[in-house]
Amino acid sequence: MADFIDGSENVTVHGIFNWIRLLIIFSVITVIGNYIGYKHPMTDSLVGMGILSFITLAGVWMERELPFNISSILYISVIGIVLALPVMPTSEFVLYYVSKVELLSIVTVFLAYVGIGMGKSWDEFKALGWRAIIITMLVIAATYFGAAIVAHIVLVLTGVPAV
Amino acid sequence: MGWVFISDRDNDGKVEHIYREKTDRRILKKNPWRDYRLHGTVLFLVIIAELIGTVNIPITKNVAITIMPLIYTIMLGLIFYLDKNIRWIKKKQARIAEGAMMLFIGVLIAKLAISSGQSIHLIFEMGPALILQEIGHLATILVLPIALLLGFKKESIGMTNSIGREPNVAVVVDKYGFNSPESRGVFAIFIIGTVIGTIFISFLVTLSLSFLPLHPYAFAMASGVGSASMNAAAIGPTLAAFPGLESSIEAFAGFSNLLSFCVGIYIVIFIALPITEKFYNFLEPKIGRGSLVKEKEDDDNG
Repeated sequence: MADFIDGSENVTVHGIFNWIRLLIIFSVITVIGNYIGYKHPMTDSLVGMGILSFITLAGVWMERELPFNISSILYISVIGIVLALPVMPTSEFVLYYVSKVELLSIVTVFLAYVGIGMGKSWDEFKALGWRAIIITMLVIAATYFGAAIVAHIVLVLTGVPAV
Repeated sequence: MGWVFISDRDNDGKVEHIYREKTDRRILKKNPWRDYRLHGTVLFLVIIAELIGTVNIPITKNVAITIMPLIYTIMLGLIFYLDKNIRWIKKKQARIAEGAMMLFIGVLIAKLAISSGQSIHLIFEMGPALILQEIGHLATILVLPIALLLGFKKESIGMTNSIGREPNVAVVVDKYGFNSPESRGVFAIFIIGTVIGTIFISFLVTLSLSFLPLHPYAFAMASGVGSASMNAAAIGPTLAAFPGLESSIEAFAGFSNLLSFCVGIYIVIFIALPITEKFYNFLEPKIGRGSLVKEKEDDDNG
């Protein structure tokens, strides 16, 4: 890892504004895709993306500022779950607007960044050879099927009706 | 100041730091929002992808392959990077994209979390399935004999103990050291998974939905494989296959993701790695082969 941060940088307003700007860009792209793909009104889905961005911002900020070694993923999950709990006064508002943003619209934009980002690993990927590629595919398939089959068996045993 | 130990050179075994360092390095150093060529290109790809929309390719009467916009954006993104004629998407943009992606995972997780909160009752009704399916991830160890037959030695321990994403890489490097064969193995899985993982799992899920008669919720729970991008790619076809169940499927994917993050890493440390080692020591003398694979130069890319 050549480009480790040298420790001279601080999480300052500068950093937070970078996050905010990035989230705004991401939100705008997602809202446009969401409109083309699903015809949801842009203003509603923009509010929805605003809510999601705000939760994300809170999560990444807490990860860095609070003295616990907890991943932002967990903070974000907990904030999201709590805001949407049926007993919370926020739930109606949050659910209405966030439901205007399709998960698939977010995923589509997210994976565009993933696609560009993973190009960087292309040369290393080519050097690895077909044996390792086979093992990788089998490992991914095993993880997926392992979880799916165990979940299915437990669901059937605990009597969850097929829908 | 929290930042001091975040940027500590030695990753003190705290696995989450990998994500954090990557994001911070990319996002705080540069002004990533200023790279309008990158974001403009993403917008362009998304518009193209959404305009094409979902395409169904029927194979037999009941089986169809569904190709969704998310496949177009990921493939086009990769092609744009690799195409030498496209000069404005280069290594720098890929780095920014990678860093930005670490932030954007949050938006995805937030969306899943809101579906989970809305359907919180599901976790009480189907808790056992959710928890036990985490154990199902141990099935990767079944690939170990094949790795041995293909000529891998100790690399196979790193390769088959888990799906080999960032937290798993951290665990293996922490346990065996950076230059060990085990780490070489997990690096290989990591790099290949980065390049083909999302595309592969999306086709895998599409085919499974057609051929495997499993419970819709089982598919939803299984999509939390421990990688945000693969999770995203796996959930797309699942949502499309069960119209009307969107919010429950999102809820289960959210719960299972959360669980993978909380306990997945401990399952690898305390269960998966020890079992993989024992299995290796048992099997290697029986089916291990002379080292077919020439030792590659050390991967020094974490």
